[in-house]
Amino acid sequence: MTAHTDPPNRASAHGDDERLPCGRLLSRAWEDREQRPDDTHPRSCPHCRDAVRELDRLESAVRGLRTEAADNPAYDAEPLTRRIMDVVRMELRPGRPLPLGEPAEDLWIMEAVAARTLRAAAETVTGVRAGSCRLLDAGPDGAAGAVGVRLDIHAPADAPLPELAAQVRERVWEAADHELGLVVAVVDIRVTDLVPAGTEHGQEGRTR
Amino acid sequence: MAGAHTQSTAPDTRADTDDTLLAVRAAEGDEDAFAVLVQRHAPALLRLATRLLGTAAEAEDAVQDAFLSAWRRLPEFQGRAAFGTWMYRIVTNRCLNVLRARRPVAPLEAAGEVPAAEHTVSPARITEGRDAVRELREALDLLSAEQRACWVLRELDGRSYEFVADAVGISQEAVRARVFRARRCLTQALGAWR
Repeated sequence: MTAHTDPPNRASAHGDDERLPCGRLLSRAWEDREQRPDDTHPRSCPHCRDAVRELDRLESAVRGLRTEAADNPAYDAEPLTRRIMDVVRMELRPGRPLPLGEPAEDLWIMEAVAARTLRAAAETVTGVRAGSCRLLDAGPDGAAGAVGVRLDIHAPADAPLPELAAQVRERVWEAADHELGLVVAVVDIRVTDLVPAGTEHGQEGRTR
Repeated sequence: MAGAHTQSTAPDTRADTDDTLLAVRAAEGDEDAFAVLVQRHAPALLRLATRLLGTAAEAEDAVQDAFLSAWRRLPEFQGRAAFGTWMYRIVTNRCLNVLRARRPVAPLEAAGEVPAAEHTVSPARITEGRDAVRELREALDLLSAEQRACWVLRELDGRSYEFVADAVGISQEAVRARVFRARRCLTQALGAWR
């Protein structure tokens, strides 16, 4: 690893450059070390040599600082994550309430909670990852209280998309009906990315 | 000194894609998705904040504040950048504010008045190396907030001038000038304490 691959630091770019007793600018003495190895002046000039020696000392300390950080055991992010999530859970954004069950019943579920269940249902189809999941009013044609689901997915590139979409739609419908009791009029699916076969994302992001 | 050393967020397309999905879910109110993002990015961001601020306690506060700010702003985020890059920027800004709020830095001359290390004879190489690292860490407090941020992102974290300019919110030329000033200040401080 070389330390000075930067384009020249022209003195005009920083008004506080320093003129060494030999007449050269400090910035030039530092640049020339890397960029003009054939220049004989720095080798014979004690001022330039001092300037370069100081920079070498700094760089060796910087390497030490990096090594020290690399030697430290991996940070346990668990306590900090817990602290952050404690505050986040006091500032939830649950979305709007959606009706559950029969029209006469006074039973609701928050949009974000329902969306989580539906995403998880979509992800039971092999290779599918779910992104945005919005629950919208089904519109004038829908049954009273029914919602429309609009779901974005990443699909495996080797799967036939119509079959895959049908499968995802089926799972979402099932989960809405059996797990939530939510009346779904329509499930719109948008494939927002195709993931090469065998490189499905890690599953740690699953929320259920 | 940009180089091959570890960066805070490795460019990993698959992880980025996964982050994008999780960020979308979190933006729609899924706090579990956000928890995964926090867990995944907190260690690198803490390393960055510790380098910028110098103490673990302040770094933890800065990273916590940055994540809470991210949670609130996620609905407007809309994936314009990778989540990791976005967080890196928020943490940098948070740390810059903390640095700016600190008491004015000691003037450079003060570096010469710092008591000299007790040994004057050259000790074992390893001790010398460790002392230099400690001196460097102390000398970082002599830098202005912007100098420190630019120098740490560029020289310790190995970021490009373009990236640093974007993260700090100044021009590349201004970043170069600050990195030079920081280098000059640090070489002088290390020299003065010898």
